[in-house]
Amino acid sequence: MGKKDCIGGGIFTCLGIVIWAFTFSFPELAAIGSVHAHPGPSLFPRVLGTLFIFFGSLVIFSGWRTSKLPPPPPPPEEEDGVKIAPLNYFNPILVIILIAAFIALAPKLGFIITGAAVLAVLMIKLHVAPLKSVIISVCVICVIYFVFAKFLRVPLPQGILTPLGF
Amino acid sequence: MEFAIQGLLLLSEPKTLVTIVVCSMYGLFVGSIPGLSATLAASLLVPFTFFMDPVPALVSIVTMSAMAIFAGDIPAALIRIPGTPSSAAYTQDSFALTQQGKAQLVLGTDVLFSAVGGLMGAVVLMTSAPLLAEIAMKFSTFEYFWLAALGLSATVMVSADSQAKGAISMCLGLFLSTIGVDITLGYPRFTFGSVDLLNGIDFIPAMIGVFGISEIMRNVMEADRKMIFAVKKVQTKGIFKGVWPLFRKYQWNMWRSGAIGTFIGVLPGAGADIAAWIAYAVSKRGSKEPELYGKGSIEAIVDAGTANNACLAGDWVPALVFGIPGDSITAVVIGVLFMKGLRPGPMIFEQQPEIIYAVYFAFIIANLLMVPFGYLAVKTSSQMLRVPKHILIPIIMMMAITGAFAMNNDVFDIIVLGLMGIIGFFMERHGYPVAPIVLGLVLGPILEQNFMTSMIKSDWNLTLFFVRPISAILGGITVAMWGFPFLMAFIGNTKKKNGAPAQ
Repeated sequence: MGKKDCIGGGIFTCLGIVIWAFTFSFPELAAIGSVHAHPGPSLFPRVLGTLFIFFGSLVIFSGWRTSKLPPPPPPPEEEDGVKIAPLNYFNPILVIILIAAFIALAPKLGFIITGAAVLAVLMIKLHVAPLKSVIISVCVICVIYFVFAKFLRVPLPQGILTPLGF
Repeated sequence: MEFAIQGLLLLSEPKTLVTIVVCSMYGLFVGSIPGLSATLAASLLVPFTFFMDPVPALVSIVTMSAMAIFAGDIPAALIRIPGTPSSAAYTQDSFALTQQGKAQLVLGTDVLFSAVGGLMGAVVLMTSAPLLAEIAMKFSTFEYFWLAALGLSATVMVSADSQAKGAISMCLGLFLSTIGVDITLGYPRFTFGSVDLLNGIDFIPAMIGVFGISEIMRNVMEADRKMIFAVKKVQTKGIFKGVWPLFRKYQWNMWRSGAIGTFIGVLPGAGADIAAWIAYAVSKRGSKEPELYGKGSIEAIVDAGTANNACLAGDWVPALVFGIPGDSITAVVIGVLFMKGLRPGPMIFEQQPEIIYAVYFAFIIANLLMVPFGYLAVKTSSQMLRVPKHILIPIIMMMAITGAFAMNNDVFDIIVLGLMGIIGFFMERHGYPVAPIVLGLVLGPILEQNFMTSMIKSDWNLTLFFVRPISAILGGITVAMWGFPFLMAFIGNTKKKNGAPAQ
C-alpha cells in the first residue's frame, strides 16, 4: 500500500495545484469603498486546492513511511485444498463499457432493447447460460420499464419501439 | 384537549386511513429504490393532493416521508446502495453486518430504532414546536456555515483507516459541488464550455455511482471465484428477536441521537443526512468499541438510524410555525398548504389547530405503522439475497442506471453515474472512504453560500464567525474536532518521551 499511497497522494496534490492554476482566470468581486477587490468565485476552490495539497502531501508521507516497513504476506493461493481463481480485471471494464453502450444506444434503440441487451451480455459474462440470460433479461427489463415508465411516469426512451406506442 | 380530539377524529375518517396505508406502502417502495428520493415521491404525490381534503393531503406526505427515510436503509444493508442520502452514513456498517450473516439484526434494528426516532421527533414537535422555532430563527448564515462545517468534519473524523484520506474524499465532494455556476457572480466554474456541467453535478447519480457501481465492479472482478456465487440463506424469522437487548444496551444512544436528529431537523435547510452523520460521529466518539465503526457496528446503526427519522418531524417545525421549509419535502408541504387555503405561520395554531393536531397524530401513527409495514418490507426485500449473485448484480446495475436517469430525465446523469463509479472503485481499492464524497457534494453549496454571504454582509470581517454565541459554540466544537487528533498524538508522544505507555 506504501507505493500506491505515494501515487494516490501525488495525484491529489497535483489536482490541488491544477485547481489553483484554473482559479487565476476567475473574476474577483468588485469592492465598494475599498481599494482592494475581494475574492469571489475563486475563494472556495482555492481553499480546496490548498487542502488537497496539504492532505495529499500527508498521504505521500504516510505512504513513504509504510514503504519502509516489511511488505505484508501475499494472499493465500489455496483455500480448503482448492486453488483460488485469480481476479478477473476485464469484468469491471466491461461494466463501464456496457454503461457507455447504454448511453449511446438507448436514445436510438430504446430503453427496452438496449437494457435487455446490456443485462444479457453481463449475465453471460458472469457464466449464466445464454438462453436463461436472455429470458431473465427480457422479463426484468419489462418489469423495470413498467415500474418506472408507467407507474412513476419517467419518460424512458422508446427508440425504435415508438410506433408500437408503449 | 378539544382540538386534539378533533384532530384524532379527522384522522379516523375512512378515506384518511386508506390514504395512510397506501402512502405508507408508496413511501416504502420509493425509499427502497436507489435513485428515487423522498422529495421525488412527495412531488409525485402533489397532483393527487389536488383532489384530497387538507388533512388527507398533509397526512399522505407525512406517512410517505417517514416510510421512505426508513426504507432507504434496506438497500443500504442488502446491496450497499443507500436508498436515500440519509442512509449513506451507515451504509458501510449495515452492509458489513449483512456480509457477516446478520442481515436480520441490521434490518430489525433499522425498523425499530427508526420508529422510535420518529416517535421522539413527533413528541417534540407536539410539545415544543413554537419554542424550537424561536431558537431556529436565531440561526443566521454564520451559524449555518459552522453547522455544515461540523457535519463535514464529522465525516472525516469517523473515517476508519486514515483521516487524511477521509479529508481528501470530503474535499473531492466539495470540489465537485463547485462545478457549475458560482453563487456570487454567476461565473461558470470548471464547466469547460459544457452546457450540462453548468447545472453542476447532481448528488443522486453520484451517490449511486460511488456506492453502487463501484460495488458492482468489485463483485464482477471476483466472478471466476465460485464461492461468492453461493446462495446465502437469509433468516428473516424473528428479525426483532435480537433487537430487544439493544434497547437496554444502547438506551442512552437512542435518547441522545433522537435529540440530535430533532434539533437538526428544526433548522431550516438542515436535513436527515446531516443529522445521521453528526449522530454517527458523536456515537463513534462515545463508543466503547470505536474500532468496529466502518466494519460493522450495530451501535452506529442505532444512533444514525434514530437520528435521521427523528429529524423528519423537526423539519415541520419551521414549516408550520414560520412557513420556512425545514427540508425539500416540507418545501412541497408548504406548497400543498397554500393550495388548500391554509397559511403556515403562528395564526394556523390559533385558527385551525385541529389540522395541526391531525398532523401531529399522523406522525405518531406513521411511526407505529412502520413496525408492521417495515417488517413486511424487510421480509419481501430480503428475498433478494436468495437470488444468485451472477443474476442479481446485472439487475442491480440496470436499476442503478434507470434510477440515475429518473431524477432529471437526463442522460448526463448516467455519465456521472459511470464516472463516479470508476472514481469510487479506485478510491476504495486504495483505502479512501467514499461516503464523504457524497456529503461533500450535498453540503458544499450550503457551506460556500453561507460563507460568502456572511463575508459579504460583514464586509469580510472574519471575527464575526466567533462573536455570535451560537456561532462561537458551533465553531469551537468544529475547531476542537479538527484539533483533537493532533492533541491526542502530541499527548501520546509526550507520554512516550516520559517513559509512560501511550494510550
